[in-house]
Amino acid sequence: MEQQSKINNNEKSIQQGFSPSGCGDLISTRKFTALMVDNDPICQIIQKAILESQGVETQFVGSGIDALDLLATGANFDIIIIAWVLPMMNGVETTRQIRAMGIRRKLLAVTACFDERKKKAFLDAGVDEFIEKPLNPKKVASIMREMKND
Amino acid sequence: MDRNKQHRQVALMRQSLFDQGLLDEQFVQLEELQDDANPNFVEEVVTLFYRDSARLILNIDQALDKSPLDFAKLDGYMHQFKGSASSIGAKKVKSECTLFREYCKAGNGEGCKRTFQQLKKEYALLRKKLETYFQLARQVGPVETACRRI
Repeated sequence: MEQQSKINNNEKSIQQGFSPSGCGDLISTRKFTALMVDNDPICQIIQKAILESQGVETQFVGSGIDALDLLATGANFDIIIIAWVLPMMNGVETTRQIRAMGIRRKLLAVTACFDERKKKAFLDAGVDEFIEKPLNPKKVASIMREMKND
Repeated sequence: MDRNKQHRQVALMRQSLFDQGLLDEQFVQLEELQDDANPNFVEEVVTLFYRDSARLILNIDQALDKSPLDFAKLDGYMHQFKGSASSIGAKKVKSECTLFREYCKAGNGEGCKRTFQQLKKEYALLRKKLETYFQLARQVGPVETACRRI
């Protein structure tokens, strides 16, 4: 009886999101991680602040090559955000190469200037979504909600 | 009483930046990212924008002096400039960037030159107004301070 009561209490704790050990720790406050591939310093600062305000831990690289090198080390991110204009290798080619590595995480393209040709190029290369800059908190919140529901 | 008057002045000055079409919603999004840990985030980002974009302005000026014009290069510079400008909510500057890129696509050198002159005017005007606004806002301090009874 006592054992059953303990099991019931543990289940109740887990349902409420708390560790059954009784220490009060949340067991599922999942922290999302993002990799931003953008060499514009203003966009880096702003986009990082926006992502972090939504609870997303963000890392930056300034080129497609740096992104590929980082991903090749096994670094894992929930979402990768790629700009169109990048030094040496543009955002579309970077996307293509990321997908060629077998990475299936959410890929989001951001660009200062929307046009259909650019959107098509990015989508064909493998991004999941294409957004015109600026990235804003509402958009990020909506993406995070979708990912949490997946 | 004086303090309240100063706060109203700051608020009116801020509102005028939106009413005159100099700033858009993105600026508000940046303000919402400010907190006790980063109370001057917007001013810092704007300062960085003006510092960083000076280099792009120079590049574009130099590129416009060449003959024949390299429209692809000009477009590339402006693409980057537009990204930063839109990230801080610089509405009129962003519009001039869009117009400039249209002239680039059309291969219209005179249009590019004319638009760039206008862009520099809007850029300088916004800088002056924001500097005045931030200076006054810093002098007056946060609203809570003004309301605190001594």
